[in-house]
Amino acid sequence: MLTLLAKFLKALNSESGVWALAFAFVLGMMMGFTPLWRVHNLVILLIALIFRVNLTGFILSFILCSGIAFLLDPLFHQFGYYLLAHESWQPLWQAMYQSAFWRVVQFQHTITLGSLLLSLAFAPILAVVSAVIVTQYRHRIQAWFNKLRIVQLLKANKFWTIYANLRG
Amino acid sequence: MTTKTTAKPVRKSAIRWPGLAAFVVICALLVAFSWLLLDTILRWTLERTVGTLNGAEVNIAKVEHSWSPLGLTITGIEVTDPGQPEFNRLQIGQISGNLNVEQLLLGRFHFEEVVSSGIRVHQQRASAGEVYQAPSKDELSTWAKQGLDSLNVKLPDVDEIVARVDLQTPAAIAAAKTNFAEQKERVKQAQANIPSEEDLKSYQAELKVLTDTKVETPQQLQQLRDKLKALQAKFKADRERLVEFKAVVEQSVEVLKADVERVKDAPEQDLARVEQLIQLNSEGLNEITAVLFGEQMRQWSQYILLAYEQLAPMLAKSANEELVKPQRGEGIWFEFTDKSEPPSFLIKKAITEFVWNDTLLDVNWSNITHQHEQLGQPTTFIARADNSALWQALNLNGEMAFTADGLDAKQQWQVQGIQLQQLALSERSEFIASIASALLDSEGSIGLRNNQFDGGGVVKLTQLEVLAEADNRWTQVVADALKTLQRLDIRADISGELLQPSFNLSSDLDRQLGDALKSSAMAAGRTQLAEFSGSLQQQSDGFLGENQADLEQLIGLLGDAEQRDQQLQEMLQAKVEDKLKDSAKDKLKGLFGG
Repeated sequence: MLTLLAKFLKALNSESGVWALAFAFVLGMMMGFTPLWRVHNLVILLIALIFRVNLTGFILSFILCSGIAFLLDPLFHQFGYYLLAHESWQPLWQAMYQSAFWRVVQFQHTITLGSLLLSLAFAPILAVVSAVIVTQYRHRIQAWFNKLRIVQLLKANKFWTIYANLRG
Repeated sequence: MTTKTTAKPVRKSAIRWPGLAAFVVICALLVAFSWLLLDTILRWTLERTVGTLNGAEVNIAKVEHSWSPLGLTITGIEVTDPGQPEFNRLQIGQISGNLNVEQLLLGRFHFEEVVSSGIRVHQQRASAGEVYQAPSKDELSTWAKQGLDSLNVKLPDVDEIVARVDLQTPAAIAAAKTNFAEQKERVKQAQANIPSEEDLKSYQAELKVLTDTKVETPQQLQQLRDKLKALQAKFKADRERLVEFKAVVEQSVEVLKADVERVKDAPEQDLARVEQLIQLNSEGLNEITAVLFGEQMRQWSQYILLAYEQLAPMLAKSANEELVKPQRGEGIWFEFTDKSEPPSFLIKKAITEFVWNDTLLDVNWSNITHQHEQLGQPTTFIARADNSALWQALNLNGEMAFTADGLDAKQQWQVQGIQLQQLALSERSEFIASIASALLDSEGSIGLRNNQFDGGGVVKLTQLEVLAEADNRWTQVVADALKTLQRLDIRADISGELLQPSFNLSSDLDRQLGDALKSSAMAAGRTQLAEFSGSLQQQSDGFLGENQADLEQLIGLLGDAEQRDQQLQEMLQAKVEDKLKDSAKDKLKGLFGG
């Protein structure tokens, strides 16, 4: 099972450029912040799979941001509620509500709209910050990090061995 | 010569084609997963959605779907009452209905016909349900004096009432005592300045000396006149002080007389107030109808007002996002439908089967929606059932529609021949009462305009047989009155807002019992009242006995002052100067031989 998972990751994770990792974090963040069962998440998943973004980074970012989303839900709800209830935006929402496309997107749900718009707004910031951090990490921290005892221990486990064999 | 060949790195395509295959596999897995767990997903979604609208936990035992025709069957629905989480406000055995596929594709939930059975209200839950949005105190129906706890089964206690009354007698006595002390001091100070009896005697002696003196020379006459003037000035000053003193005493006497009157009247006034309070205390039982029948009427009203109490609040929340407090992470779904569009949720026809003890009642509904303006028709409901085990005839019909201003609705009902048996009214140890048997008829109508209730009905109890036992004189009055009842007409009025209706129950029993209980309270408290009255009178008499002498003394002082003033005035008006002149003239005549 572990071999299969490692092979799957190996097959898909053949590109790990700085921007590939940064975009992976952004896509994972958007999927993690917004409610899972939404059509836009299928689009995000398609992008993540079809373009050469780092899937490990994508999955990690998704898991981490799903946890953070639990804390941010009230904020997403309030922001979405504010926009959907705002008088001056009503004509736009009414027009969108008539469209099957937007109904499928489920924009009329407070948390969906709030989380999607806020994560879109945060996406460029996260992309640039991730790219900078990954670059700095590779130049300065990676060697030190690999020497850490805990990392050594992790590298000794079976999954890492399978993964390393695949890489080799 | 060596030839070096360096392999140029192949630039990989930005597209990862195996990823597309993985996406297709994931989508297929998702579809399969949803397909297999559709019923569970639907159950979970319905529990969360209806739970949010209800404001408390909703449990569904089972959901089953069918594809052709597209339909749902939901079994075992329990809707927790947010006000009483140990109870279900509504319990439905089963609901089944078919969805209009065409409308579903357009994002609308239109059910052609929904059939539900086994509907019960206010049922005990196995365990308390979770409350998401507790109703505010204002949202709870207010039943006039409801609950048997408000039944006052004790005689009003005279001592307790006396303790509550701000008694006037001791206060009047205390005030009078202070006033007496103050006024006596004031009079005493004023008295120090007035001429004493001795002073007056001395003045008279001096005057006598003046009048008896024989004038020999004009110089002597002048001297005597000067002495007289000085004496008269003294009289004047003394008189002024006497007048002042008289004013002070008069004022004091007036104040103290008023105090004495107050002290005399206070016991009578206190007694009147205590008697009044004893009567007021027994007025709680003027609303005996609400106290005794309130709980039963509340239970009956749950059926009569079912459409408003159960369905309307949920539909109201569907129509207004502001009323919904979503659960954590749930969010709210907005609707932006155009008025010309069909409603987004509609049940065209529904048959609901209510269970009341062992009797079933079918209510037929049409056009259940929260978007009546879009539909152009109200939601209507009608129930008609004759000769059931529980009643001879029942006719209930009504309609309701959400407008921009709130809910508009009307409803009327006639029920005849409901046989009541062994219906407990009070099970308190001091007072046990139950309807052994009775025949109940009821009719009425309720209107609801802009969320405001207006209307009411009459509940007629005939062939009434009430069993009642009481363990004290007070409740015995109630028990005796109830036992003599053979017929009772209860008027039930409803008013207030949709989510907080207020009920008022009244009957002739209220007045009859109210009068009887007041008389009973007065009779029972008579001995204590007599003692109380005697004690007050004693306090009043004691004070008057102690202070009457002081008052009389003050009045006596006033008389003395009056007398002294009179004497001074006489001395002032005495013609001493004329006498002196006459004496001088006589002397001159003697000298000149005239």
